[in-house]
Order: sequence, then structure tokens, then C-alpha cells
Amino acid sequence: MRDIGILKIKSHEPALPLIQGGMAVGISLDGLSAAVASAGGVGTIGTAGIGMTIEGYARNFKQASIEGLKNVIRKARSKTDGLLGVNIMVALTNYQDMVVTALREKIDMIISGAGLPLDLPSYLEEGSKTAIIPIVSSLKSAKVILKRWFGKFRYIPDAFIVEGPKAGGHLGYRVEDLQSQEFSLSSTIPQVRQLTEEIKREYGKDVPVIAAGGIFEREDVQEMFELGASGVQVGTAFIGTQECDADIRFKQALIEAKKEDIVIIKSPVGMPGRAIRNKFLVDVEAGNKKPFKCVYHCIKTCNFRETPYCIAQALMNACRGDLENGFAFSGTEGYRIKEITTVKDVIERLFGTGPLSLY
Amino acid sequence: MTHDEVFDRVKTIIAEKLGVEEDEIALDSDLTEDLGADSLDLVDLVMAFEDEFNFKVEDEQIENISTVGDIVEQISKGLKVEG
Repeated sequence: MRDIGILKIKSHEPALPLIQGGMAVGISLDGLSAAVASAGGVGTIGTAGIGMTIEGYARNFKQASIEGLKNVIRKARSKTDGLLGVNIMVALTNYQDMVVTALREKIDMIISGAGLPLDLPSYLEEGSKTAIIPIVSSLKSAKVILKRWFGKFRYIPDAFIVEGPKAGGHLGYRVEDLQSQEFSLSSTIPQVRQLTEEIKREYGKDVPVIAAGGIFEREDVQEMFELGASGVQVGTAFIGTQECDADIRFKQALIEAKKEDIVIIKSPVGMPGRAIRNKFLVDVEAGNKKPFKCVYHCIKTCNFRETPYCIAQALMNACRGDLENGFAFSGTEGYRIKEITTVKDVIERLFGTGPLSLY
Repeated sequence: MTHDEVFDRVKTIIAEKLGVEEDEIALDSDLTEDLGADSLDLVDLVMAFEDEFNFKVEDEQIENISTVGDIVEQISKGLKVEG
């Protein structure tokens, strides 16, 4: 039996092998991210929709998003000395703005998924301390990113986050693959770990594998380490905390949700997503179109002329507590949140008080 | 290398990467619609062509590839093949 090692990502060593999942459109801003960072994990700010934090944002969402990200990073920094990351979806139309702003603010990590972050290393200056971490859903996606990054930029990812089919929000799988054993973390984590062992042998770089999706308590964390992960990314569990930046009614939606309420939806973004079914989503499904005028132009792959609702608006509404006109994303385990606790409580449930061990 | 030779080598790579039969692949086959490639496959394929034909494709160009013919065209241009 041996204790788990320290998670080291580029030059960063969080006290806990934990990255808080970046939950966009207002769910993880400076409140949650700073609290997690102070508790020893990596606190992550979700960047999609971050312009909503700036007054009058609808007039110039592009500029508001840059201002919003800058402010939120600075506010988080003022609250903690811990490690901070940002999650930037590749599918965002303002991807470049978000990456450049985060780098200018000297963020510790950029985590990027929902698409292939093929050109992410091109933004890094020589000697930058910012770690860049792709989110992958399979060995194949990890290999393709590695090959492209190394072939074009001589850069090896600083870690891989393997986000499995139990995660919340947008998922990097086809709907029919979500239940398949082949795509479960118990298959993918060992495969990606093997790839990182090869990287270590060939190039001498340590690339930790971080497991994500459906991780709720200590047993899950233990299982991920047994599979070969060196850290975990946890999002949904942190929604049920005082520190989470969403409105209390959003948190309440998770507390009230039953297991069977957490369903797969077809997002206008063009990927499946996992969310809590409510009247809004039932209406969408029933074809009761909610016509809208696209003001944000936020997602490259959004077919806003045909899609029945604006997902940015729906998620902003939900984040502010208006679940009549929106909905909440959640991982498979979201229904297990029974009350509002604190970041400290969630971390204790994940890691316990004693050290985790590998057998 | 002739246009046909480029097409033959492209076919071999596509068949291997996507697990389809070579005779299913025509110049007007759509990689996504007809051959079942996803965005990840497209990048994987493009990198394989870069290795095979020793040329570079920009990330933005990858999104514009739809048919096998598009690829053969791009490669032929890069290689300056005779008709």
C-alpha cells in the first residue's frame, strides 16, 4: 500500500489532487473558484457567458466578455493565494479573446474542451507558467491532440483531463456511446495513462491524467486513482455549496432533482448534454418553440436560425434563478446533493480526512 | 505522381483510418456524411496526409474539407501533379 503522489501540473502543485470543474454561464466565477483554490484545489472559472457579469452586456457581448473575464480573475485573485484556472470551450466564437485575456492575467491553468484545442499552444509565450490542459473523451482524442501539438508546436500537454460519459453539461460522446463500457472511465483512464507513460519514456515529461465525470465521494476518487489517474476534476458536487456563484434557486433545482430527472438533451451547440429535466426542457422537446433573436453569437456550431431556444439565454436565466425560462446542467450524481453545504464539506466528502492510498 | 496515384494513396489511408472498404471511397464521397468521419477523424486523417505527402494543412482549412475530392485537390495543388 502506498500513498497517492502529489499532483504536479507544469510547475504547479496544488495541495489536493483536485481541479474544480469550470462550470460556465455564471456557475463558477470568483466565489467558487477562490474558495476551492483556498482549500487546496485548483479553482476554475467558467468563461462561456462571462460577459453577463458586466452591466449592459447585450450591447457588446464580445467586449463585455473580455472585461468580465478580466474582472472575475482579478476578484478571485484578491480572495486567494491558491491556484486558479479558466475553462474555455473550443466552440466559443470568442475563444481567442478568452485565451489571450486569461494569459494576460497570468492565469495558472487553461483547461479547454468541447472541441479540439488544436492551436492552444500557439498563444503561449516562451517561459509562460500557464499550464494548458485539453479535456479529452477518449484515447484517440488524446493522441490526436498530442500529435498535433507536438508536430506543430513541439509542445506536450501539461495534463490530460479525461471527462467520461457521466459528466454534466456538454459531453464529447455520441448519445449511443454514453452507456457503453468501451467509453467508460474504467476503460479510458488506463488507456490514457499508458499513453502518458509512453510520453514520459520518450520525452521525459510527466503528464498527469485527471479523471472527471460522476465523481462524488471518496470511493469514486479512490477508484479513479486505482485506474491510474493522478487527480480528479469535480464540478457538479460543488454546485451545492454556499460559495457557488449561482442563485439559490439554481442550487435548489439540484437538491430537488431525483435520479431519473437527470437526462440527456440535444443541445443547440450540436453535442449531447446532461441536464435536469424541467418544464422548460419538456416544452422544448414537445416542439413548443421559443423563438429568439440571437444577440450573443457565442457558439461556432450553434445553428441559431433553426434551434428552438437560445442556450446562452436559458443558462443565464437559470443561473439567476429563473428556472421557468432556463434549466440546469448536472452530472449523473447531481441528485445526491441533499442540502447546501460548503466547499470544505464537499472536499471532505471527496478526500476524507486520512490520506488516500493505492493498493 | 499523377492525380490517380494521389487518389489511390488517399484511399488507402482513409480506408485504414475510418475502417471502410477502399471500393466504397469515391472522389465525391463526403467524409462525414458517407464515410462516417467525425471532427476528430478529420484531424487524424489530415495529419496522416501531412505525413504521407509532406505538406501542411492549417487548422482552419480542416473545417473546410468535405469530400475525398477536396483532399486530393489540395494535395495535388501542393505537389503540383500533372493532370
